[in-house]
Amino acid sequence: MIRCEDVLREISNYLDQDVPAELRQQIEEHLRACDNCTVLVSTTRKTLSLVAGSKVFEISPAISERLLERLAGQWG
Amino acid sequence: MRLACRGEKEQFAELVRRHQRIVFRIVQGILANLADTEEVLQESFLKAYTHLGEFRGQSQFRTWLIRIAINEAKMRLRKYRPGQHDSINETDREGEEIAPRDLRDWDPNPEERLRETELASLLERAIRALPRGYREVFLLRDVEQMSTEEAAETLEISVSAAKTRLRRARLMMREYLTPHFQKRWHQKLLDRVAGRRRTS
Repeated sequence: MIRCEDVLREISNYLDQDVPAELRQQIEEHLRACDNCTVLVSTTRKTLSLVAGSKVFEISPAISERLLERLAGQWG
Repeated sequence: MRLACRGEKEQFAELVRRHQRIVFRIVQGILANLADTEEVLQESFLKAYTHLGEFRGQSQFRTWLIRIAINEAKMRLRKYRPGQHDSINETDREGEEIAPRDLRDWDPNPEERLRETELASLLERAIRALPRGYREVFLLRDVEQMSTEEAAETLEISVSAAKTRLRRARLMMREYLTPHFQKRWHQKLLDRVAGRRRTS
């Protein structure tokens, strides 16, 4: 039987589907009985999904243009 | 990847167009200042062009280029902003376990709580709050969606170190975002009603 500490240790690998089948099964069994770990896993999953679909640190067209200009200037 | 002499500049310009977004995002994630980021972006591509002959194709061009950009960004922090470099230095909590403190559940659709630009700005603040060593691996793996192996190769760390930092970064991001996305009272009420229906 695995504990909350084990879920915490494996949470990242679990979300990346990078845990052996047996451990995955044990984690899922634990999640069915533990509200705190269920929230931890679901909110961490949502965090990753928000980040993956977001537009953080986007380059502006002006910066992109100046980059190409600087390179062209260097090449002569 | 080799560039032929003829048309070399045009081919490199194509590489710039293809990779400028990822390099900008990584550098901007490391440096807080936009002017510094722009300069490092330009210097990184110039350096890559100058040293193209040294690129042997053992790793992907993208990995090689990002490594140049990260080193340039770190050099800039050391040179011009030593205080900032020290205060967010690497992964000073490496040996310490991250204990989740805020276990309030989130809204089912947190992305609907904020406009796209507000969400991006909140996520940028959360990413900047990570210690730098965690931030780098998080940017490569979870923002740029690289594999953990490529992220580790780019940062020249072991896959196991990359996984450890990534896990901590993800937990810290979740903790930072929880107050912004916790369930509102009407959602809790709906959940309670649904729970009662299930048990009756």
